Amino acid sequence: METNQFVPDIIAFCCHYCAYAAADLAGSMRLAYPAAVKVVEIPCSGKLDPLYVLRAFEDGADGVMVAG
Amino acid sequence: MIIAERKPLDEIKTLVDDAQKVLVVGCGTCVTVCFAGGSREAQITAASLRMSTKLDGNGKNVGDVTVQRQCEWEYLDEIKDQVEDADMVLSLGCGIGVQAIAEHFPESWVVPGLNTTFLGIPSEQGVWEERCAACGDCILGLTGGICPIARCSKSLLNGPCGGSEAGHCEIDPDVPCAWQLIYDRLSSKDKLHVILDLQPPKNWSTSRDGGPRKIVREDLRLKAEEA
Repeated sequence: METNQFVPDIIAFCCHYCAYAAADLAGSMRLAYPAAVKVVEIPCSGKLDPLYVLRAFEDGADGVMVAG
Repeated sequence: MIIAERKPLDEIKTLVDDAQKVLVVGCGTCVTVCFAGGSREAQITAASLRMSTKLDGNGKNVGDVTVQRQCEWEYLDEIKDQVEDADMVLSLGCGIGVQAIAEHFPESWVVPGLNTTFLGIPSEQGVWEERCAACGDCILGLTGGICPIARCSKSLLNGPCGGSEAGHCEIDPDVPCAWQLIYDRLSSKDKLHVILDLQPPKNWSTSRDGGPRKIVREDLRLKAEEA
Protein backbone atom coordinates (compact mmCIF):
# COMPACT_ATOMS: atom_id res chain seq x y z
CA MET A 1 0.00 0.00 0.00
CA GLU A 2 1.34 3.45 -0.92
CA THR A 3 2.25 5.46 2.13
CA ASN A 4 1.12 8.78 0.63
CA GLN A 5 -2.36 7.55 -0.19
CA PHE A 6 -5.09 9.85 1.06
CA VAL A 7 -6.92 8.31 3.99
CA PRO A 8 -10.02 10.33 4.81
CA ASP A 9 -10.90 11.00 8.43
CA ILE A 10 -14.48 9.87 8.88
CA ILE A 11 -16.69 10.71 11.83
CA ALA A 12 -19.35 8.04 12.24
CA PHE A 13 -22.38 9.14 14.25
CA CYS A 14 -23.89 5.88 15.45
CA CYS A 15 -27.24 5.22 17.05
CA HIS A 16 -26.89 3.79 20.56
CA TYR A 17 -29.45 1.08 19.88
CA CYS A 18 -28.27 -0.39 16.58
CA ALA A 19 -25.18 0.89 14.78
CA TYR A 20 -23.20 1.61 17.92
CA ALA A 21 -24.18 -1.75 19.36
CA ALA A 22 -23.07 -3.33 16.09
CA ALA A 23 -19.74 -1.52 16.21
CA ASP A 24 -19.36 -2.67 19.80
CA LEU A 25 -20.09 -6.23 18.78
CA ALA A 26 -17.59 -5.93 15.93
CA GLY A 27 -15.01 -4.93 18.52
CA SER A 28 -15.91 -7.90 20.73
CA MET A 29 -15.49 -10.15 17.71
CA ARG A 30 -12.08 -8.58 17.02
CA LEU A 31 -13.22 -7.39 13.60
CA ALA A 32 -11.08 -4.51 12.41
CA TYR A 33 -12.28 -1.32 10.77
CA PRO A 34 -10.11 1.55 9.53
CA ALA A 35 -8.54 3.57 12.32
CA ALA A 36 -9.52 6.75 10.45
CA VAL A 37 -13.16 6.09 11.31
CA LYS A 38 -14.03 7.71 14.62
CA VAL A 39 -17.28 6.54 16.15
CA VAL A 40 -19.43 9.01 18.04
CA GLU A 41 -22.31 7.48 19.95
CA ILE A 42 -25.59 9.35 19.81
CA PRO A 43 -28.82 8.34 21.58
CA CYS A 44 -30.64 7.95 18.25
CA SER A 45 -29.82 8.88 14.66
CA GLY A 46 -32.81 11.22 14.95
CA LYS A 47 -30.78 13.18 17.48
CA LEU A 48 -28.27 14.11 14.80
CA ASP A 49 -28.30 17.85 14.28
CA PRO A 50 -26.91 19.53 11.14
CA LEU A 51 -24.73 21.41 13.59
CA TYR A 52 -22.91 18.19 14.58
CA VAL A 53 -22.13 17.52 10.92
CA LEU A 54 -20.92 21.08 10.37
CA ARG A 55 -18.79 20.93 13.50
CA ALA A 56 -17.22 17.64 12.39
CA PHE A 57 -16.24 19.18 9.05
CA GLU A 58 -15.10 22.39 10.71
CA ASP A 59 -12.84 20.40 13.02
CA GLY A 60 -11.19 18.66 10.10
CA ALA A 61 -13.24 15.60 9.20
CA ASP A 62 -13.18 14.63 5.53
CA GLY A 63 -16.47 12.82 5.72
CA VAL A 64 -19.35 12.12 8.04
CA MET A 65 -21.26 8.87 8.27
CA VAL A 66 -24.60 8.54 9.97
CA ALA A 67 -25.50 5.00 10.96
CA GLY A 68 -28.74 4.09 12.61
CA MET B 1 -45.89 35.15 14.89
CA ILE B 2 -43.40 36.91 12.67
CA ILE B 3 -42.25 34.58 9.90
CA ALA B 4 -38.85 34.95 8.28
CA GLU B 5 -36.44 33.05 6.07
CA ARG B 6 -32.68 33.05 6.24
CA LYS B 7 -30.92 34.82 3.41
CA PRO B 8 -28.74 32.67 1.13
CA LEU B 9 -25.19 32.20 2.46
CA ASP B 10 -23.67 34.01 -0.54
CA GLU B 11 -25.73 37.12 0.21
CA ILE B 12 -24.77 36.95 3.88
CA LYS B 13 -21.10 36.64 2.92
CA THR B 14 -21.40 39.78 0.80
CA LEU B 15 -23.04 41.64 3.69
CA VAL B 16 -20.25 40.75 6.15
CA ASP B 17 -17.44 41.07 3.61
CA ASP B 18 -15.93 44.16 5.29
CA ALA B 19 -15.68 42.59 8.73
CA GLN B 20 -13.10 40.23 10.17
CA LYS B 21 -14.87 39.57 13.46
CA VAL B 22 -18.56 38.86 13.08
CA LEU B 23 -21.11 38.21 15.82
CA VAL B 24 -24.17 36.27 14.70
CA VAL B 25 -27.07 37.15 16.99
CA GLY B 26 -30.05 34.81 17.08
CA CYS B 27 -33.45 35.60 18.55
CA GLY B 28 -35.28 33.21 20.85
CA THR B 29 -38.83 34.13 19.96
CA CYS B 30 -40.71 34.16 16.61
CA VAL B 31 -37.78 33.31 14.35
CA THR B 32 -36.82 30.40 16.61
CA VAL B 33 -40.26 28.89 16.18
CA CYS B 34 -40.11 29.27 12.38
CA PHE B 35 -36.61 27.74 12.28
CA ALA B 36 -35.03 30.81 10.72
CA GLY B 37 -33.00 32.61 13.37
CA GLY B 38 -32.93 30.78 16.69
CA SER B 39 -29.93 29.51 18.61
CA ARG B 40 -29.56 26.49 16.36
CA GLU B 41 -29.71 28.53 13.16
CA ALA B 42 -27.28 31.08 14.61
CA GLN B 43 -24.78 28.31 15.35
CA ILE B 44 -25.26 26.76 11.91
CA THR B 45 -24.88 30.14 10.19
CA ALA B 46 -21.76 30.94 12.20
CA ALA B 47 -20.20 27.55 11.40
CA SER B 48 -21.13 27.90 7.72
CA LEU B 49 -19.57 31.38 7.58
CA ARG B 50 -16.39 30.22 9.30
CA MET B 51 -15.93 27.29 6.92
CA SER B 52 -16.97 29.11 3.79
CA THR B 53 -14.73 32.12 4.37
CA LYS B 54 -11.86 29.81 5.32
CA LEU B 55 -12.28 27.97 2.03
CA ASP B 56 -12.25 31.36 0.27
CA GLY B 57 -8.88 32.08 1.86
CA ASN B 58 -10.17 34.78 4.19
CA GLY B 59 -11.27 32.92 7.28
CA LYS B 60 -13.34 35.16 9.51
CA ASN B 61 -13.69 35.00 13.25
CA VAL B 62 -17.40 34.29 13.61
CA GLY B 63 -19.09 33.79 16.97
CA ASP B 64 -22.71 33.50 17.88
CA VAL B 65 -25.06 34.32 20.73
CA THR B 66 -28.83 34.16 21.06
CA VAL B 67 -30.99 36.44 23.15
CA GLN B 68 -34.54 35.78 24.27
CA ARG B 69 -35.90 38.71 22.23
CA GLN B 70 -33.91 41.12 20.08
CA CYS B 71 -36.74 43.63 20.18
CA GLU B 72 -36.37 44.54 23.86
CA TRP B 73 -33.57 46.65 25.27
CA GLU B 74 -33.24 44.54 28.43
CA TYR B 75 -32.28 41.44 26.47
CA LEU B 76 -29.87 43.38 24.27
CA ASP B 77 -28.06 44.72 27.33
CA GLU B 78 -26.91 41.15 27.99
CA ILE B 79 -24.79 41.07 24.81
CA LYS B 80 -23.33 44.57 25.02
CA ASP B 81 -19.73 43.41 25.46
CA GLN B 82 -19.91 40.88 22.62
CA VAL B 83 -21.47 43.41 20.26
CA GLU B 84 -18.84 46.01 21.06
CA ASP B 85 -16.08 43.46 20.59
CA ALA B 86 -17.22 42.54 17.05
CA ASP B 87 -16.59 44.44 13.81
CA MET B 88 -20.09 43.66 12.67
CA VAL B 89 -23.30 42.08 13.92
CA LEU B 90 -25.25 39.71 11.71
CA SER B 91 -28.73 39.72 13.19
CA LEU B 92 -30.87 36.65 12.70
CA GLY B 93 -33.81 38.50 14.19
CA CYS B 94 -36.68 39.92 12.19
CA GLY B 95 -36.41 43.44 10.80
CA ILE B 96 -37.41 44.74 14.21
CA GLY B 97 -34.52 42.95 15.87
CA VAL B 98 -32.01 44.29 13.35
CA GLN B 99 -33.22 47.84 13.94
CA ALA B 100 -33.30 47.38 17.72
CA ILE B 101 -29.64 46.33 17.70
CA ALA B 102 -28.71 49.26 15.46
CA GLU B 103 -30.61 51.66 17.72
CA HIS B 104 -29.34 50.21 21.01
CA PHE B 105 -25.71 49.99 19.89
CA PRO B 106 -25.21 53.10 17.71
CA GLU B 107 -21.46 52.49 17.49
CA SER B 108 -21.92 49.04 15.97
CA TRP B 109 -22.73 48.04 12.42
CA VAL B 110 -25.55 45.55 12.00
CA VAL B 111 -26.73 43.70 8.91
CA PRO B 112 -29.74 41.40 8.43
CA GLY B 113 -29.30 37.66 8.01
CA LEU B 114 -33.00 37.05 7.45
CA ASN B 115 -35.70 38.23 5.12
CA THR B 116 -38.69 39.07 7.32
CA THR B 117 -41.62 37.80 5.38
CA PHE B 118 -45.02 38.03 7.05
CA LEU B 119 -47.22 37.58 10.12
CA GLY B 120 -48.58 34.11 10.04
CA ILE B 121 -48.96 30.63 11.44
CA PRO B 122 -47.31 27.24 10.95
CA SER B 123 -50.31 25.66 9.22
CA GLU B 124 -48.55 22.29 9.29
CA GLN B 125 -45.05 21.07 10.04
CA GLY B 126 -42.73 22.95 7.67
CA VAL B 127 -45.45 25.16 6.16
CA TRP B 128 -46.13 28.77 7.16
CA GLU B 129 -48.98 30.89 5.88
CA GLU B 130 -49.77 34.59 6.14
CA ARG B 131 -52.73 35.45 8.34
CA CYS B 132 -52.48 39.10 9.40
CA ALA B 133 -51.49 42.34 7.67
CA ALA B 134 -51.43 44.40 10.89
CA CYS B 135 -53.82 46.92 9.32
CA GLY B 136 -54.68 48.41 12.72
CA ASP B 137 -58.45 48.19 12.26
CA CYS B 138 -59.41 44.54 12.68
CA ILE B 139 -62.52 43.37 10.84
CA LEU B 140 -62.29 39.67 11.65
CA GLY B 141 -65.52 40.02 13.61
CA LEU B 142 -67.32 40.68 10.32
CA THR B 143 -65.63 37.97 8.30
CA GLY B 144 -65.91 34.85 10.42
CA GLY B 145 -62.32 35.02 11.65
CA ILE B 146 -60.82 34.98 8.15
CA CYS B 147 -58.88 38.06 7.11
CA PRO B 148 -59.59 39.37 3.61
CA ILE B 149 -56.81 41.95 3.96
CA ALA B 150 -54.10 39.36 4.43
CA ARG B 151 -55.62 36.41 2.62
CA CYS B 152 -57.36 37.92 -0.42
CA SER B 153 -54.71 38.66 -3.06
CA LYS B 154 -56.41 42.00 -3.73
CA SER B 155 -57.35 42.70 -0.09
CA LEU B 156 -60.92 43.14 -1.24
CA LEU B 157 -63.54 44.11 1.30
CA ASN B 158 -66.69 43.49 -0.71
CA GLY B 159 -66.65 39.86 -1.68
CA PRO B 160 -64.79 37.76 -4.21
CA CYS B 161 -63.60 39.14 -7.53
CA GLY B 162 -64.11 37.52 -10.92
CA GLY B 163 -60.87 35.63 -10.46
CA SER B 164 -62.33 33.34 -7.83
CA GLU B 165 -62.71 29.92 -9.42
CA ALA B 166 -64.09 26.89 -7.62
CA GLY B 167 -62.97 28.35 -4.31
CA HIS B 168 -59.49 29.23 -5.46
CA CYS B 169 -57.68 32.41 -6.37
CA GLU B 170 -56.69 33.22 -9.91
CA ILE B 171 -53.09 33.90 -8.86
CA ASP B 172 -52.51 30.27 -7.96
CA PRO B 173 -54.85 27.28 -7.85
CA ASP B 174 -53.27 26.31 -4.51
CA VAL B 175 -54.35 29.60 -2.91
CA PRO B 176 -57.85 29.46 -1.45
CA CYS B 177 -60.14 32.40 -2.21
CA ALA B 178 -60.43 34.24 1.09
CA TRP B 179 -63.94 35.38 0.30
CA GLN B 180 -65.02 31.84 -0.51
CA LEU B 181 -63.62 30.80 2.88
CA ILE B 182 -65.48 33.68 4.52
CA TYR B 183 -68.74 32.82 2.78
CA ASP B 184 -68.42 29.12 3.64
CA ARG B 185 -67.59 29.89 7.26
CA LEU B 186 -70.43 32.37 7.75
CA SER B 187 -72.81 30.06 5.93
CA SER B 188 -71.88 27.10 8.15
CA LYS B 189 -72.54 29.25 11.23
CA ASP B 190 -75.79 30.63 9.80
CA LYS B 191 -74.35 34.11 10.01
CA LEU B 192 -74.45 35.26 6.40
CA HIS B 193 -76.48 38.26 7.51
CA VAL B 194 -73.24 39.70 8.95
CA ILE B 195 -71.87 40.48 5.50
CA LEU B 196 -75.18 41.84 4.27
CA ASP B 197 -74.91 44.79 6.66
CA LEU B 198 -73.57 47.92 5.02
CA GLN B 199 -70.13 48.86 6.29
CA PRO B 200 -68.50 52.28 6.09
CA PRO B 201 -65.23 52.51 4.16
CA LYS B 202 -62.38 50.92 6.08
CA ASN B 203 -60.18 53.29 8.04
CA TRP B 204 -56.82 52.80 6.34
CA SER B 205 -55.20 55.60 8.33
CA THR B 206 -54.47 52.99 11.02
CA SER B 207 -52.49 51.00 8.46
CA ARG B 208 -49.36 52.11 6.64
CA ASP B 209 -51.37 54.88 4.96
CA GLY B 210 -50.98 56.86 8.16
CA GLY B 211 -47.19 56.61 8.18
CA PRO B 212 -45.11 54.83 10.85
CA ARG B 213 -47.38 53.81 13.70
CA LYS B 214 -46.97 54.31 17.40
CA ILE B 215 -48.99 53.40 20.47
CA VAL B 216 -48.59 55.32 23.71
CA ARG B 217 -50.17 53.92 26.88
CA GLU B 218 -49.90 56.63 29.49
CA ASP B 219 -51.13 54.22 32.18
CA LEU B 220 -48.10 52.02 31.57
CA ARG B 221 -45.42 54.66 31.18
CA LEU B 222 -42.91 55.20 33.93
CA LYS B 223 -42.68 58.59 35.54
CA ALA B 224 -39.41 60.42 35.00
CA GLU B 225 -38.14 59.48 38.47
CA GLU B 226 -38.98 55.78 37.87
CA ALA B 227 -37.39 55.44 34.46
